[in-house]
Formats: sequence, C-alpha cells, structure tokens
Amino acid sequence: MIQPGDFLTLLLILSTAIILGRLLAPHITSVFTSAPSRIDRVLSPIENRIYRLLDVDPTRGMGWREYFLSAMIVNIFQMSLAFTIFVFQNILPLNPQGFPGLNLDLAFMQVISFATNTNLQHYNGEGCTNPPNCYPVSSMLGLSYLSQMTAVQFLQFTSAATGLCVAVAMVRGFISRSQNLGNFYTDFVRSLTRLFFPLCFVAALIFVGLGVPQTIGGYQTVQTVEGTTQTILVGPVASLVSIMQIGTNGGGYYGANSAYPFQNPNPASDIFQILLMLLIPTSLCFVFGQLLGKRREARPIIIGAYALFAIDLLLAFIPRYALGQGIEVRFGGFFSTLWTVVTTAVTTGSVNASLAGMHPLVILSAFMGMLIQSTPGGKGVGLMYMVMYIIITVFIVGLMSGRTPEYLGMKINARDVKIVMVAFLIHPIIILIPTVLAYATGAASAIGVSTSSTGFTRIFYEFTSAASNSGSDFLGTAGNTPFFNISTALVMLIGRFAPIGLLLALAGSMINRKRSTEIGLRTDSITFTIVLVGSILLLVVLTFFPFLALGPVLEFFQKRVNGF
Amino acid sequence: MSIKNEVKRNYGPALKLAIISMILCGLVFPLAVTGFAQVLLRDQANGSVAHLSGNNGRAVGSYLIAQNFSQPFFFHSRNVTLSASGVDPDITVEDALFQTQRISLVTNITQSELYSLVSQNVERTLRVFGDPYVNVVRMNLALIQAYQSIYQKLDPALFSQ
Repeated sequence: MIQPGDFLTLLLILSTAIILGRLLAPHITSVFTSAPSRIDRVLSPIENRIYRLLDVDPTRGMGWREYFLSAMIVNIFQMSLAFTIFVFQNILPLNPQGFPGLNLDLAFMQVISFATNTNLQHYNGEGCTNPPNCYPVSSMLGLSYLSQMTAVQFLQFTSAATGLCVAVAMVRGFISRSQNLGNFYTDFVRSLTRLFFPLCFVAALIFVGLGVPQTIGGYQTVQTVEGTTQTILVGPVASLVSIMQIGTNGGGYYGANSAYPFQNPNPASDIFQILLMLLIPTSLCFVFGQLLGKRREARPIIIGAYALFAIDLLLAFIPRYALGQGIEVRFGGFFSTLWTVVTTAVTTGSVNASLAGMHPLVILSAFMGMLIQSTPGGKGVGLMYMVMYIIITVFIVGLMSGRTPEYLGMKINARDVKIVMVAFLIHPIIILIPTVLAYATGAASAIGVSTSSTGFTRIFYEFTSAASNSGSDFLGTAGNTPFFNISTALVMLIGRFAPIGLLLALAGSMINRKRSTEIGLRTDSITFTIVLVGSILLLVVLTFFPFLALGPVLEFFQKRVNGF
Repeated sequence: MSIKNEVKRNYGPALKLAIISMILCGLVFPLAVTGFAQVLLRDQANGSVAHLSGNNGRAVGSYLIAQNFSQPFFFHSRNVTLSASGVDPDITVEDALFQTQRISLVTNITQSELYSLVSQNVERTLRVFGDPYVNVVRMNLALIQAYQSIYQKLDPALFSQ
C-alpha cells in the first residue's frame, strides 16, 4: 500500500501536470490556428524561409488523403536518412569511440522504432557491457555521437511533431465549417519552431543543471580512487532526454535508459521527467476543446483519461513497494513504481528501474496503459484513440437507447463505425498474432525465453509495447535477432500508421457533414464520461484477458503461492 | 486529384523537409544546447567529474557513476548487479551507518565522528521527495579530505600521480 507521504507526492505531481497542461493548452492551440502572436516577429521570417525552400504554399489546405500521404512521405525520407547514418556511423564523423555501423536488420528496426514514436531499443547506446568500469569500451552495439543526434534525437523530434500534427488534423475534421484538414508542412514546421524547440531547449538546460551531461568531447578515462581504470560515458545526453520525454518517445541515450545516473541523476530530475512526459498528452485534452470551440467537450477526455490512469495507479500501488533488485537507491520503490505506470500510461516507454524486478500487478498496470493507449496516451495519438473510443461508446449507447448515434451534432453512420472498429481491432491483431508466432516459430526459445508465465509476459510485453508505440521492453539486446527485429518493426509500422490513416479518413468524411442544432446525446456530461470509461475497460479487458491471464495474472497467483 | 498526382506533388517538398528537419533537430538543436551548457554549466555538462582533495587533485571518476571500493577503510558501493543501471552510485543511510563500524575499526576514527560525517553527506532532493541516500564517491572523498594524514598512511598510492 502507498504511504501517506508518498500519496501526497503523487497528488502533487499529478495536479502539477494537469495545471501545466492547462496552462500550455492555449499556446498549442495558437500554434495550429496560426493566431497572431508576439513571437511572430522572430519566428515568422524563419518559417517563411523554410516554406520558400520547400516550395509550398503554407496556407493551402489539404484533404485527409493528401495530409496523410505527405506525412507518410516525409516520414519515409526521414527514416531513410537516419538509416544511412546508423549503417555508416563507422565512417561518418563524431564517432570518437569508433563504434562499427549497425547491422541492416537492426538499423531497419531502429529507424522504424524511432520514427513511430515507439523507441524499442535492441542496441546498447553507450556500448558498455562491463559496468561499472566500462574499460575497455567493447560493445558492438554502441552508437556514435552522430547517430545519437542525427538519427535518434532527429527522429524523436519528427515523430513527436508528426503525431501532434495528425491529431490536430483529425480534430479539424470535427470543427464545424472547416473546409480541409490543414497543411501538413505548415503544421510540422510550426510545431517544431514554436513548441518543441523552445520547450526542449529550456528543459535540456535544466537537465544539465541537475547533472545530465551535454558534450561531444568523447568518453573520459580516469584512474579511480582505488586505482582501477574507468571510462566515464559522457555525450550529448541532456538534449536527447528533453525530447525523449516531452515527445513521449522514451528511447534513452543509455541501454539502462533513465535508470542510468547520467540520464536521471536524482529524484528532482526524476520528477521533472515524469512531468515532461505528462505535459503535452494532458495539454492536448484541453487543446481538443479549444480547437473545437466547445471547451466542455474536453471534459470526458481529460476526466476519462485521468480516471483510467488512476485505476492503473491503484493497481500498481496495491503491493508493498521496497528497494528491491533492479531498483536504484536514489529512486527507491515509490518512484520506480510511479515511473512504470506513468511511462506506459502516456506510452513513452522510458524506464528508471528494471522491469524484471517489478511485482506482477505493476506489470499488469503497465499492460493496461499500453493496451488502452489513451490514459492519456502518447503524443497526439492518445487523443485520436480517445475520440475513437468516444465514437464506439456513442454507437453502443445509441444501440442501447434506440436513438441514432450522434457526436458533436453529427450523425454517426455505418461507415464511421466500421472505420473505428477496424482501428480498434488492429491493436489486438498485431499484438496477439506475433506473440503466438514467436513461440510457434521457436524464435522465443532461441533467445532463451521459456513458456512459463514470466517468459510469456516478456514476449507479450514486447509486442504490446511495439504495437502501442510505447517502447519499454523486457527483451533489450536479447531481442536483437532477425525475427524480433523484423516482426517488431512491422508491428510498430502498422500500429502507428494504420490507425492514423483510418482516423484521418474518418475526420475527412466529417467535413461538411450536416449538424443538427437540436441536442441529442450529451457527450460532455459526467454520465457519458462514466459510460465511456466503463466501455473502454470492458472492450480492452474482454479483448486481452486470455493473454493477460497467461502472463502477469498467472504470475501473480504463482508467486502468491510460492512467495514473492 | 488522384493519389498519383498527390504523391507527385509532395515528394519534392517532403524530401527537402526531411533534410531541413534533420539539420535542425539533429545538429543545430543538440549543438546549440551543447554550446550553452559548456559555457553556463561546464562541470555538469562534462559528467560531474570528481577530484581528489578539491578541484586541484587528480580526476578519480564521476560523482554520478559507481566505482569499485574494496578496501576496508572506504565506504563500499552497493553490489551494483542489484541495480538497474549497474552503476548505482548511492547507498541507503542505514547501509552507510552500518559500514562506519568496519571503517572505525581499521582507521581508528571514532564511530561518532564517522556518524556526523555521514549525516553531513546525506542527499535528499527538495527535502521532501523520496528517501534520503548517501553518494558513495562523495562520501569517500569527504572521508579522505577530512582525515588526509590517516589515509596517506593507509594508502600511500592515493596521492601519488
């Protein structure tokens, strides 16, 4: 059970996240409505220069298909650039440790991992396999400074921006009298110049102040107090950590992610990272209402998301937490458990403790976050999924009450329901089938993962994490086999772009749809919010229960009998 | 407009946007942060390097990264295979206090002096969040600093180099 002092800390962190999210919302809204702002004087000339270089008209609106296509094409080019960097890092500059280039299948998997905002990592960024001395640095799977910057950080920025843009484009479809979904290039450029760069710059310098390194000067070798040789693994870490948390990416500079002291030196940096993860997903709930011009419609989204989040927290804090194996002293049991819930609730996927040491109920809670994907979910896509759930709920409620389902005054027709159902069903399909395949093809046993509940949880977790574009993982570098690299890559691609395409198509069909003025089903009420939360839980639990039962649930009961 | 035309119309701008965004996000941003950090926060930006006897002594590691301490007259790190990072630099306050017994026996420094040295080096963020802990590297350097002559005798190699 949670201790009173820790409970207060938890409340303080969550309320701060909600307040900061609310404060940031008008700014995000203005980024996408192109409302005049004081920073125009500085930024507009730079942005206009970029538009001229691109040779695009920033005011030309796009239909859903062109918006989606341009986002896809930009993403494909970005992935190709990053792929080249990964594979040829050995002959490119800024590689003071002389790391070799990545294998093709690993590089393929990693660019998809970063471009889809997943950040599953099958490499070991710092390239050290013999801590704490790390001398000599010998791993084949390390990344050069150039790879960390122009492949990892680069895609972390662009995937965050892409997710945000497509979410806003979807909302535009629901705004009455909108003619199109906006211009992808304008949205993308403005989200970087006006939101991500300024926020990340300030956050990165705060991280340096708290002890996170930021240098390209190479690793340092020292003689320790007792005279052994030790390598100090420094690099451009703070700039990466800022975007990996703000962008809900989650891929760390180091293999141990935010458990590594250079990436997360103390409880202050830990709390700061938790706040940054929650910031934009929370803010977007409010942005939704502001863009629509119907602020009350944001209520079921923010309340629903945080109610589900509270259920996750409740589940995770049932067992007694302590400073156990796989937990860092400076965080202890409380901050390690809290982090695990938050990082999966917003599908960031960074870790500050080893998942292997976690209680099965904490793992179950992590699963819930990644299976629901909107508690409040990842950057942008969490909001899209929430709208998807709302339409499903509206449909169910319509069936039950015998009325035509309506959302925001628009009739929801059969095609809409089909689209959201397909979008919903993609998730179980791309999680459950590969999980079974991993066992059926012997790929799991090939890397020493057994069929016990613990082993099954690891494989199930890997694909859940990939499909939800979360990225926390149980396999680590053990997953660096052709089967897992290619299967997770495909799962991440489908899990990211199929629902985005479908929900943009839905939004596209909403444009110019007739709106009734009479009030049908109220979707901004508490009653609706309760029904929404209930339907989400029911849908997700019914879909995944057999797999959860074989994994963390079985593990829980086994350990109850045999002792934890 | 057909899909073919939409693709045709967009691949040029898309390629240019990919290149521009790579330069901005992957080079300009991290290098700008590096520049500011190296000027404003030099110490942290370079890995919080720990020096023996103040900043004039030799570099002996980082305050944030665990190192092996095996001599009985030093505080020992936690068995780092227990931690997630493998380089956990901290131990609990109880662990530090427990170790004062051994150190006192070897060094003849009284346990109460060691207790007060430990209490001076307890770390606690914002004084409210999280359990207090002790950084082993900082603790041992404070120990050497406070009892230089004793440690000179125990480990003559310490101040050579």
